Amino acid sequence: MPTARAARRATLRLGAVALAGALLAACGSGSTGTSADKDGKVTITVDLFGTFGYKEAGLYDEYEKLHPGVTIKQSSTENEADYWKALQTRLAGGGGLADVQGIEVGRIASVTQQQADKFEDLGPLGAKDLQDDFSAAKWAAATTADGRTLGLGTDVGPEAICYRTDLFQQAGLPTDRAELAQKWATWDGYLELGRQYKAKAGAKSAWLDSVGSLYSVIVGQEKERYYDASGKLVYDDNAAVKAAWDLSVKAAQDGLSAKLAQWTPAWNQAFSSGSFATIGCPAWMLGYIKGQAGDAGKGKWDIAPLPGGAAGNWGGSYLAVPKGSAHAKEAFALVKWLTAAEQQAKLFKKQGSFPSNIGAIESVKDVTDPYFSDAPIGRIFGAAAEASPVQVLGVHDGDVNQQITNALGEVERKGTDSATAWSHARKGVENAVG
Amino acid sequence: MTLTATAPVPPARPPAAQAPAAPPRRLLARLSPYAYIAPFFALFAAFGLFPLLYTAYVSLYRVELQTPGEMEWRGLDNYTALLRDDFFWTALRNTFTIGVVSTVPQLLMALGLAHLLNYRLRGRTFFRVTMLLPYATSVAAATLVFAQLFGRDFGLVNWALGLAGIGPVDWQSGTVASQIAVSTIVTWRWTGYNALIYLAGMQSIPGELYEAAELDGASRWRQFLHVTLPGLRPTVLFTIVVSTIGATQLFGEPLLFEGSISGGISHQYQTLGLYMYEQGWGYFHLGRAAAIAWVTFVLIVLLVLLNTALARRRSRKGTRR
Amino acid sequence: MSALLTRPRSGRAAGTARPLPRLRPARAGRQHHGGRLAYAILIVAAVISAFPFYWTIVAATRSNAELAASPPALLPGGNLAHNFRQVLEQADIGKALLNSLIVSGSVTVGTVLCSTLAGFAFAKLRFRGRNALLTLTVGTMMIPPQLGVIPLFMLIAELHWVNQLQSVILPGLVSAFGVFFMRQYLAQSLPDELIEAGRVDGASTARIFWSIVVPIARPGMAVLGMLTFMASWNDFFWPIIALTSQEPTVQVALRQLGGGYVHDQSVIMAGTLLGTVPVLVVFGVLGRQIVGGIMQGAVKG
Repeated sequence: MPTARAARRATLRLGAVALAGALLAACGSGSTGTSADKDGKVTITVDLFGTFGYKEAGLYDEYEKLHPGVTIKQSSTENEADYWKALQTRLAGGGGLADVQGIEVGRIASVTQQQADKFEDLGPLGAKDLQDDFSAAKWAAATTADGRTLGLGTDVGPEAICYRTDLFQQAGLPTDRAELAQKWATWDGYLELGRQYKAKAGAKSAWLDSVGSLYSVIVGQEKERYYDASGKLVYDDNAAVKAAWDLSVKAAQDGLSAKLAQWTPAWNQAFSSGSFATIGCPAWMLGYIKGQAGDAGKGKWDIAPLPGGAAGNWGGSYLAVPKGSAHAKEAFALVKWLTAAEQQAKLFKKQGSFPSNIGAIESVKDVTDPYFSDAPIGRIFGAAAEASPVQVLGVHDGDVNQQITNALGEVERKGTDSATAWSHARKGVENAVG
Repeated sequence: MTLTATAPVPPARPPAAQAPAAPPRRLLARLSPYAYIAPFFALFAAFGLFPLLYTAYVSLYRVELQTPGEMEWRGLDNYTALLRDDFFWTALRNTFTIGVVSTVPQLLMALGLAHLLNYRLRGRTFFRVTMLLPYATSVAAATLVFAQLFGRDFGLVNWALGLAGIGPVDWQSGTVASQIAVSTIVTWRWTGYNALIYLAGMQSIPGELYEAAELDGASRWRQFLHVTLPGLRPTVLFTIVVSTIGATQLFGEPLLFEGSISGGISHQYQTLGLYMYEQGWGYFHLGRAAAIAWVTFVLIVLLVLLNTALARRRSRKGTRR
Repeated sequence: MSALLTRPRSGRAAGTARPLPRLRPARAGRQHHGGRLAYAILIVAAVISAFPFYWTIVAATRSNAELAASPPALLPGGNLAHNFRQVLEQADIGKALLNSLIVSGSVTVGTVLCSTLAGFAFAKLRFRGRNALLTLTVGTMMIPPQLGVIPLFMLIAELHWVNQLQSVILPGLVSAFGVFFMRQYLAQSLPDELIEAGRVDGASTARIFWSIVVPIARPGMAVLGMLTFMASWNDFFWPIIALTSQEPTVQVALRQLGGGYVHDQSVIMAGTLLGTVPVLVVFGVLGRQIVGGIMQGAVKG
């Protein structure tokens, strides 16, 4: 029966086609990145965001030298929001995760409260002996209610102001740190200086980069921001948030901002073009400035303490090991090493990320940075870190902050009035928190 | 038709009416068409249909990506909540305006270019290939480049406008300006492609029609209006439907324009596709995102039906004349 | 379509003052020479089409600081080698190109095969549920592709395919457009009589498919293959979720470029250039065929 045979042949052919597709696919897929070879070689993958700077500071090379057979592969996403989205998807799907994942402090509450089951408890792996190395607050934030440790602290974000001495000079402003610190002892003083700058500098250069970043720096001085200690969302009634908002709106309305959105190419370019004279500077911003302004910017920048009396903190991160990592032990060993005092100190000297490890904080007290006109960054940020409040963290901290800075962007770029913009922020938060 | 290898049978005849073929042969032969669609539908079921049905199911619940285990029944609440959601309406409006701004000039220009390309030209291959180049670029690459060109402070567009004495335009924050910028990317990528589609349509119009029109003394313009355009109608309908679907699903360009999932600081160029992405991937509200996606789907179906209905009515009118 | 073409005839009926009839070769109406204006407009359009590519080259050969200068740079600079080095340092472009080639190649071959098979069945075979299945297929073209991403990812993760190329290849094979395209193509260019003749000769459907349908479908398959390859090469939304920088395609690698310690626009542009060059080369070599293919697809499809 020719037809039957032909039909069978057709079916076979079809099967072959499907198989060929699968085979093609199988051939194409290389190793899965994190498989250990028979001879004990291990590849540890590290997935980070923004500017950790381990690679740039040569720490991976050092670690690989110390541990023959270990290879470290890093991937990095510039914008933390993008990074977080990808991480959430992979956590939900349970695949594609690196052995070590970076977690921003604004997300750590979400990790400890909502996703504790998706990360390794580092305590049994050896972290429980490390508690005393870290500041109590940093440690507590990554600990779950039932006492599991989900991440080790990398850096914290004590705040100061970075400014362009060359632009200050051109505008006839003082450039001395101490003098400036005195002049901008209050935020009003800071804005007043800004108005003076604006009058001299004209349209080419603004006082600060964006009022969104101004807001973030100011609100970083508060203990309680978006959530209260019981986990209730309180940003809408929080007088401190409102004060930071009002001040930022004022700066926008006085035309002190270059109206750049942070983490955009235009913002990046403005570091070298001199579009703004000052920027709120958490310690990790130093590395960012060096990267963006490049060698040409060396010596043009300086750092002075933050206005407003109280010190503040913006950002900082953790390293965590997701469950399902094939090399949880090796990954933890790397995390432990990277967050140890010696490495944190090294990182601060090279990249400016301020240590959360108490031992490291001690050892960097006298560090100065030639890029920033030999500013005593160890002393400035050390003092700021010591004085910053222990912040109450909430699950949606990152989202709330995003919505508020978005709304401030509206104020500065579109001239939206304060009340309308705030209502937009509130709607945005509702939408995000859901 | 498939059943008989012996004699031609009227295609409408049901298979059961077939005469005494051997049973196994009949069964195999009857199954054979399914073997042809099987590879596609096997893949389709796994990677197309299953995810869709799953989202349809999920759209009736409150589900968060971080806690997929905790599903809270919502019924149609995710859908009705959209009606009260300002951001949804903004996104809907933006999708419509960006859709119009990116589609209408695009198709008109494509039509004009196709008309010109239809002339006897020196270097016509060069022109055709060059105009198709944008189509071959990825959304990602094109948007990256255009985001630079439309930069407020250092962008070429503002620099050129500055030469003409026009002050810098904030292509990111301005509602109208940002929508124009996003539409420009779409227009740039698709105009050449549609021009070629139109050109193909024009070349399939029989030459005698033009001769006849010429004999009537119709000018080139009148020929264009009365021969080319009517002849192109099916092609135009096709491009309109495709562009409508594309515009309603528009997503990559507004996402990558500033890298903002909100479509700018005040949602000024957030499309429905992007709003869904923001809900699902930015805030991890899977249920709501799924509801938005299904509303978008219904919208597209309605728009396509509207398009075809309009076209049918037009062509019926044409017939009556 | 004939109904649509009645308009010019009615115009003719209305025409009264008729100039002297001029004899022209057939198809004369659309073979006018282009005037200067036509050339001018086309040249402007070509320049606009090509300019972003040119500007990519300019940006890729400059430094980040130069891009922020005013007036902006309009001519290529000398920083290309440096930027390329940066690109290669930050992202594994070599592997990305190879992976993209594997992914796009497999997706193209698979899609064309599946689509031709299904398109043939839908166009020429009769079976229960045909219309329903076709409607379902076409209907999915209207569904926003982002819709299914989350469950799709869960599925891929369940299969432990994350970060493996089949996670991008297999979903890529599902092309409702491809099926529809091949159905339209075959419905138009494959005469029923040929199939009938095959049947009279006692050929099975499978035989008819390989020896009659495929040869006729070949131009359509080529067009579909080309379109699929380009779309697959340029797809970024799903690959950046399913793959990581350990196993990147070109688009994933490009996304990775922005993620370095220094967000350098000129480096990103250099990467974009590297990712786009293959497409440009293909266009340089096969431009005429691609244009021809798309136009042919437009008429038949």
